[in-house]
Amino acid sequence: MNNNLFLNYINSAINGSKVVQANFLNVLDKVSKTVIKICNHENLIINLDYTPSTSWPTYKNKTVAFVDGGLDKTPMPSSAPLTIRAGSYIVNKAANEQLFKVNNSKIVDLFDPDNELYDFIDDDSFEDMMLNKKKDAARIICEAATLVNHIQSGKKYDFCFLHGPIQAILTPFTQQGFPPFTQLATEDFIPFINGKKDKERKKRRMTPEDRHFIKVYLECIKFIKKSPFPIYGVVETAVSAAYTKNLLYNFKNKGHISSKDYKETIDTINKYRITDSNLFEIILKRNQALKPIEIQKQFYGNKLIQRSMWDEVIEQYPKIFMGYVKATDNQSPIRIETLNYPKNLIKDFGYILCVSRLLPNYGYLAGLAVVDRFVKISNFMSKASRNYRSTHLLKQAINNKDQNTVSLALKILSKKNRAWINRPTKRRK
Amino acid sequence: MKKRSKWQTIGTVLGETNINEFFFSLKNYQAKKGDIVATETNVPDGNGKIISVTVWGKIMSIDCSNEWFPRQAAQELANEDIDIRDTILPTTRDELICKVSILGYTKNNEDKLKLLPLVYPVKPAASVDYPNSNDVEKLLISDLNSKHPIYIGSLLARESVEIKIDADNLVSRHVLITGMSGSGKTVMVRRIISELMQKMFPMLIYDIHGDYLGFVQKNKQMFPNNKVKLFYPNLSIKSEDKEIIYTLIEKLGKPLTEPQNDYLNSLINKVKYEESSLIKYINKLITQSKDYIKDRNSKTKGASSGMGHIKAATMFVVNRSLGQVVKKLVSMEQTNFRHRKKMANLKFEQLPDAGTEPEKIISKGQLSILYLKGYETLPASAIVSILSESLFKHRQEVEEEIPPFLTIIEEAHNFIPSRTENKDNLPSVETIRKLITEGRKFGTGLMIVSQRPARLDETIVSQCNSHISFRIKNQKDQKFVRDTSETFDAEDTKQLPALANGQGVISGQVVNFSLPVQIKFDEQLLNTDIGNENFISTVEKWDDKETVKLRKKFAKDFSSISESNQRRPH
Ligand SMILES: Nc1ncnc2c1ncn2[C@@H]1O[C@H](COP(=O)(O)OP(=O)(O)OP(=O)(O)O)[C@@H](O)[C@H]1O
Ligand SMILES: [Mg+2]
Repeated sequence: MNNNLFLNYINSAINGSKVVQANFLNVLDKVSKTVIKICNHENLIINLDYTPSTSWPTYKNKTVAFVDGGLDKTPMPSSAPLTIRAGSYIVNKAANEQLFKVNNSKIVDLFDPDNELYDFIDDDSFEDMMLNKKKDAARIICEAATLVNHIQSGKKYDFCFLHGPIQAILTPFTQQGFPPFTQLATEDFIPFINGKKDKERKKRRMTPEDRHFIKVYLECIKFIKKSPFPIYGVVETAVSAAYTKNLLYNFKNKGHISSKDYKETIDTINKYRITDSNLFEIILKRNQALKPIEIQKQFYGNKLIQRSMWDEVIEQYPKIFMGYVKATDNQSPIRIETLNYPKNLIKDFGYILCVSRLLPNYGYLAGLAVVDRFVKISNFMSKASRNYRSTHLLKQAINNKDQNTVSLALKILSKKNRAWINRPTKRRK
Repeated sequence: MKKRSKWQTIGTVLGETNINEFFFSLKNYQAKKGDIVATETNVPDGNGKIISVTVWGKIMSIDCSNEWFPRQAAQELANEDIDIRDTILPTTRDELICKVSILGYTKNNEDKLKLLPLVYPVKPAASVDYPNSNDVEKLLISDLNSKHPIYIGSLLARESVEIKIDADNLVSRHVLITGMSGSGKTVMVRRIISELMQKMFPMLIYDIHGDYLGFVQKNKQMFPNNKVKLFYPNLSIKSEDKEIIYTLIEKLGKPLTEPQNDYLNSLINKVKYEESSLIKYINKLITQSKDYIKDRNSKTKGASSGMGHIKAATMFVVNRSLGQVVKKLVSMEQTNFRHRKKMANLKFEQLPDAGTEPEKIISKGQLSILYLKGYETLPASAIVSILSESLFKHRQEVEEEIPPFLTIIEEAHNFIPSRTENKDNLPSVETIRKLITEGRKFGTGLMIVSQRPARLDETIVSQCNSHISFRIKNQKDQKFVRDTSETFDAEDTKQLPALANGQGVISGQVVNFSLPVQIKFDEQLLNTDIGNENFISTVEKWDDKETVKLRKKFAKDFSSISESNQRRPH
């Protein structure tokens, strides 16, 4: 039994009722048998070739970007300095290119009324509660903005991979009182919003609503959807059963199963917390994949997951396509998300398989593991790796030539762990 | 002062800094481990002003990491025969992080590079420079204030930086040279000897292997102003050293019981010692003893010799033991002689009496080599003890008959073993202890060379103020070096097992600070007569002696005879 499956089993054993406990494996078995039938009927399972010694030479000249974001999670009392970075590892071995790049980096103190990221909302009770959401939103938007950067760069990528879903779930940010980004930050994230960079251009002052995450992110997503090259979001362990539920939903809509069976199955899945990972782990064998199916991420069935004042905007979010690739025997399949149905599904998934097999125990895109290490800020402060990280911080700072970043980098480099709680010296007025 | 502006920048200081060490990220392999680098900081000058100073440090380690390379990947690459250069795996993210131990700082406006202890940390994010060779050399020698620097080689990491050590400390404060066999100890000693010969400093070498005979061969050619003397030992013992005779007989002969010892004692007391040769003397003892035995067995039952109370058996045992001692001594002399004969074109002289003619051994500009090949530990130890003791006495006397001199003891574990070695009572241990503790006062410096430092007498080792260590693989010896020498940099000792021939770490009073060095190899000083043992060519040139030839010739015939002899009749 695999780790995740085991964990899930344990979880349900701890959390569920006696009956639930006893039945988990039994139920999982039954559900999977049904789902496998549906998959077969829909022709969803594909076999991928794994012949790395011949494939890699042909992949050598591909230009690929791996993108990930990182957050500084160091807890610091009375102050919330936050470093959010999104970086890329861009590689084309044939062209001798191996580039590590920080595309978006924001160092802010969220308790600072003058912080450059969010409008300050003068309500203390909200601040604490919302701190984590603000961090998440900032990371998500930095990652999306990085994808935007890559598209805008005009570089001819063959692939771009994002560590994480291609479209995040929006509900956490629809809450009343979630602050909008500042004008400066917004322009940074979606530079295309004001048209071509033109000195004559009249700067449009954006309303707080325009600067809200839900809106800004939508602009990013729309831009990303138009990308000339395929962009995939990759999720290691799916904690939801989105694929399965959508599959059943489509089946029901086609009239292949009754509404009653549909409802009962969904209830069972919910009750036993069965996830896509659990199911496809059983269903898929190594080197197999599930064809992507279309999913409206922000919906549950035909309803929005949660109603809010943002409903109209959320409805404008495009659907995504979700598939799975199982690279190794020991790990759950990985979820692959795109905004457009892959033009070369077999080839693309074959490539994903090859890159994932470079981490044979982990079964996950090695390029994302590489960029993850590069960008992770939580480790960045840890004593052991600080020297290594700091070189990069400094190099980046110097490359960016942004005075703010340079001075902060120097501070970090020169001070003890905690002593660098310094705000950027330059303040937005 | 603007020296630094001419130096090449090779990196940037990283992370937190303190006054003992710092880290920096190195650009493009522009420095090596052991290199001397410089950076800057500000310190208060004592007059309320802040001055900018140059901070010097030594690269202790360089870590290279490709932090973003996932380890598991290696497994798959190997299993599936994938070329990493085809994959998306990063290969160029090698980062070189150097750890630098700070040596001190020098003021920027002074030409003399006097190292002062750093009291303020270096500047984070400051640039790190690669000083030019001349400036490094200046730094290395500056603090020693050496009047007589001698050249031994170059900085291990940087050939263009010459290393000089202080001769004055070398000849009076004692040096320990360690390293496993073939690591370069003798080459280093020869280097030092060459330099000291230029300074006409007298030296005495106890040479067991003939490693220093090259000096005799190259005397005229390379050291025309010096005298190089080659001696072979003469087992002559002065009467006041009678203790040694006793030890020799006791150790070389059979173990004696108490009555046997008593008898030996009375023999020695009876027979007057003439200061000629030890062998002659023992033979005299034997003759005397035989007389006693005769007397013991005669009608008088030993009454006429006064040995009536001693059993004849006791006398016999002592006699046999003495016979054995003579046999051994003679055989050692002969072995030594045979070796000397092989080198027919070298002139060997019998060691003069150090008591009466010390100037024949120690004299300005002279290098004396005592060739000890063939002698077992105990007699060799006795020889060393007697000679050194006697020379030391001359230095102690008010009217100095001989100048200060340096004694070089090769394979020192033979002469000054640690107590734990259980080779008690080697006469040389006491003598060397005396020489080394009083060496500074009387100018009797010692250079102690050994493969196994852990087996040396602790008192003696602790008196060595400088230490040069070459490659050491043995764990015990490595530990010994780490433990006994506080002047060694811990990082430097770590590289001991990995050093190549002629590479060593030098520390102590002959240098400013612990330094990895590459010793200059004077190939001309190798002894070309025996050179390095080459048994292959010996065999190639081999021709059997006549007797052997004949034996071989007839062997077949004889064997067929003995064969038929053994055959049983049917
Ligand atoms: N500084 C040097 N440069 C180049 N080669 C060297 C150097 N030192 C030693 N070697 C090489 O190593 C050989 C052995 O060196 P050396 O005789 O000094 O060893 P050792 O440490 O005295 O060994 P042992 O303990 O066996 O006497 C030399 O003959 C020479 O070939
Ligand atoms: Mg030697």
